[in-house]
Amino acid sequence: MSIALVLGALLAAACVVLVALPYLREPQAERDVLEEPSELDRRRLELAEARDRALAALKELELDHRTGKVSDEDYRALVGPLRREAAEALRALEPRAGASGRVKVERPG
Amino acid sequence: MAKRALCPGEARSAKPSQPSYDPGMARKRNPARLVVALSVAAVLAVFLLYTSIAGGGTPSVSPSELGAQKGVVSLAGRVQPGYKGDSYGDGLRFRLRDIKGGSTKTVTVVYTGSVSDQFRAGREVSVKGELRNGTFVAVKDSLVTKCPSKYTAKKST
Amino acid sequence: MPELGRAALVATLGLAVYAVVAGAYAAWKGRRRLALSAQNALVAAFGTSIVATVVLLAALVRHDFSFVYVAEHTSRELPTGYTISAFWGGQEGSLLLWLLILTGYSTAALLVNRRSARDLVAWVTPVLGGVTFFFAFLLVVVATPFAVQAAPPDGSGLNPSLQNPYMMAHPPLLYLGFVGLTVPFAFAIGALLARRTDERWIVATRRWTLVAWTALGVGQLLGSHWAYEEVGWGGYYAWDPVENAALMPWLAATAFLHSVMIQEKRGMLRVWNHLLVVMAFSLSLFGTFLTRSGIVSSIHSFTQSSIGPWFLAFICIVVFGSLALVFARLPLLRSKTRLESLVSREATFLYNNLLLVALTLTILWGVAYPILHEAVLGESRIVGPGYYNFFLRVFGLPLLLLMGIGPLVAWRRASLRSLGLTFAWPAGFALLVGLVLLALGAGSSIPGLIAYTFSAFVLASIALEFSRGTRARRALSGGSWPAAFSALIGRNRRRYGGYIVHAAIVLLAIGVAGSSAYDTVSERRLTPGDSLVVGDYRLTYRGLEEREAANATEIRAVLGVERGGDSLGTVQAGKNAYTAERQVSNEVGIRSDLITGEDLFVIAEQVNADGSVYVRAFVKPLVNLIWLAGLVFVLGALITLWPDAREQRRLALRYEGAEAPARP
Repeated sequence: MSIALVLGALLAAACVVLVALPYLREPQAERDVLEEPSELDRRRLELAEARDRALAALKELELDHRTGKVSDEDYRALVGPLRREAAEALRALEPRAGASGRVKVERPG
Repeated sequence: MAKRALCPGEARSAKPSQPSYDPGMARKRNPARLVVALSVAAVLAVFLLYTSIAGGGTPSVSPSELGAQKGVVSLAGRVQPGYKGDSYGDGLRFRLRDIKGGSTKTVTVVYTGSVSDQFRAGREVSVKGELRNGTFVAVKDSLVTKCPSKYTAKKST
Repeated sequence: MPELGRAALVATLGLAVYAVVAGAYAAWKGRRRLALSAQNALVAAFGTSIVATVVLLAALVRHDFSFVYVAEHTSRELPTGYTISAFWGGQEGSLLLWLLILTGYSTAALLVNRRSARDLVAWVTPVLGGVTFFFAFLLVVVATPFAVQAAPPDGSGLNPSLQNPYMMAHPPLLYLGFVGLTVPFAFAIGALLARRTDERWIVATRRWTLVAWTALGVGQLLGSHWAYEEVGWGGYYAWDPVENAALMPWLAATAFLHSVMIQEKRGMLRVWNHLLVVMAFSLSLFGTFLTRSGIVSSIHSFTQSSIGPWFLAFICIVVFGSLALVFARLPLLRSKTRLESLVSREATFLYNNLLLVALTLTILWGVAYPILHEAVLGESRIVGPGYYNFFLRVFGLPLLLLMGIGPLVAWRRASLRSLGLTFAWPAGFALLVGLVLLALGAGSSIPGLIAYTFSAFVLASIALEFSRGTRARRALSGGSWPAAFSALIGRNRRRYGGYIVHAAIVLLAIGVAGSSAYDTVSERRLTPGDSLVVGDYRLTYRGLEEREAANATEIRAVLGVERGGDSLGTVQAGKNAYTAERQVSNEVGIRSDLITGEDLFVIAEQVNADGSVYVRAFVKPLVNLIWLAGLVFVLGALITLWPDAREQRRLALRYEGAEAPARP
């Protein structure tokens, strides 16, 4: 019975420590804010997903064409729009200084 | 292509052009919705057809309720002590009483076919069949014996 | 020691409450440390669950009959392996196993994802906490495994039908599946709560869903195999409500796995995906509710317990809450792409989904109808296998065909001409196979013949995919055929792993068709020297053998087996009489022919005092393909699951960019 009591107390203590850990590690946190993706971040993510989707679709089209599932003429019909889609997605995501644009960018000159 | 520096608060136009989404298409209805609607209708039609032909399940009755039904029913009851016969031979004759409730009415069942090792007096069983001339004549191999309260798995169908 | 167990469970309950309340508050107000603290609470809950588990395990192994649970489910002569598996043999212990797996999965899911997608994880935490709260609540208030009593000298023993290796593995595997569906559900709900419109939640949970789905599939196969060998009525699936309880979430998860691919590739079907994952999770809760509550008359029923209403309430909260949330976020979930053509791979995935959901709902109706009929009209009804088999054929056979069509159709839009060309070989092969089978007499069962023909089509289309792919790979980078083959699979794991899984399902379909549509049965009373003919086999009854095992007396009828004049050895069938449990079990004799895949299945229905036996024997063609399908299934799933370094890097890059904004 007493062993159970000791173990129980240890268990409770361990739980409390674990739950309080973030506060123990950073008693004074300068930034306690949970980062939410900004509007820009969300759009960027959307674009990134659209880009990946377009690129993956191109890759699959190539594979399907090579394995004969897509005939030459179907391939020619489909590859153009897909390439354009991928190019647009890549262009929209062009890297610029300061990944998210939240940084105040100095105007040139 | 010259890059234009972004001013704070300005966001580059976000939507990539989607060749598969052109204004002309937007006015056409999404074929997916049509497919879904047709499929739901088809499934319901098949379902209704089946249930109208095959009926909605077999009624499950207790010994005290037996008598009013026509045709094959599933009889569920508790086995009474004092059964005899050979289900693999001329037939096992046993009596069933209601599982719940105070009715003392019993029904005699004549059964041929498999019998689970769990079958004994006091056990709950269910058997399919018809009432004929006061005796419940069971469908072969339709006897299912339930084990009492424990996690169980015996059946003889 | 039971006090420690009880305390651990109370601690788990408290931690779960904290995870829900603090987690929700932290996510809502955006407090980083509080969110981390809530996640840690769930990790701590895993720790306390482990403690509770260890306490119960120790009590089982020590034969501590002062624990009511230990006394009810074990006995002194029970072999150790089964003593341990008694942990999940009863209501309370199996709930504890569920809690353990749930907190374990939650810990893993949170720890893996906590650095990226912080806002998503912040909302996932209270959802996981809520589910944990429910199960911890049940264990603390309604069904505690740590009830004590004055220790009796010996326990009641484990139900003999559970004393079997399959029953040791079946519940844990099923739970790994059922509980595993909680993670994609939590992430889906978390994404809605966090108002995210991206695919992060899908990317994060793809492998979880696959693991859960695989475990659920294998768990069901093990259950079927157990039913086949142990319960021994000659079948492996009885459309028992509790069997259906595991099948329904598996079917919903299958639909989900496919439709999620469409969302990944085309950004469509977002609302549908959310609804599907809610459906899969709710069905897994419903499944365990059916098994535990005693509400359906089933051979699986646990003790009639008061646990039913609690489950029902929780399921209602989950379903209505999730639907309300999806409805509230509807504007966010609108997809921008449309289905371009009814002849495209997206379309076949859509048809696949519709068929799977239709099948799931039909099974659900078959299970719910008797309950509803009794509740509303007072008259009880029973839905038999005829209903289920009909709809399995109506929806299952087209699904089988689609498995062969899907891979051959291109994305977005496929011209009928190119379809015709790609279909030519598999269709021709299937037609040929169909005609040959018809000539061999398979016309005795039309659904069986159709199943065989469709299966041939699918297998041919899969083989074609592999061969065309290997040829294309070899044309691209040279090398030998085996090297090209493995490179092909290595570079396209999801696609070709998926094909292998399809092949497994086809094997399953062939096995099921063969053993149910084309089996033979024969029965007789035999005295020593008598013979029974079934199919091509002749069984000659030699006599009875009796022997003593650890906790049972075993009696066997020995029968000599001949086929075409050749002796094939003997087969034994009989009964075991368990001493402590005072029960008799049916032990069937199975002789598997590894070349034809058929089984000779012998049941000694009745052993008489005069030495005669009543024997029923089946010949079940191709039934072993079902078990082989399980192995192929796992192989395919493993290939699909295998981490792909290149893809991981690409995904990391995609999400890092948007989620680690530069700080001033």
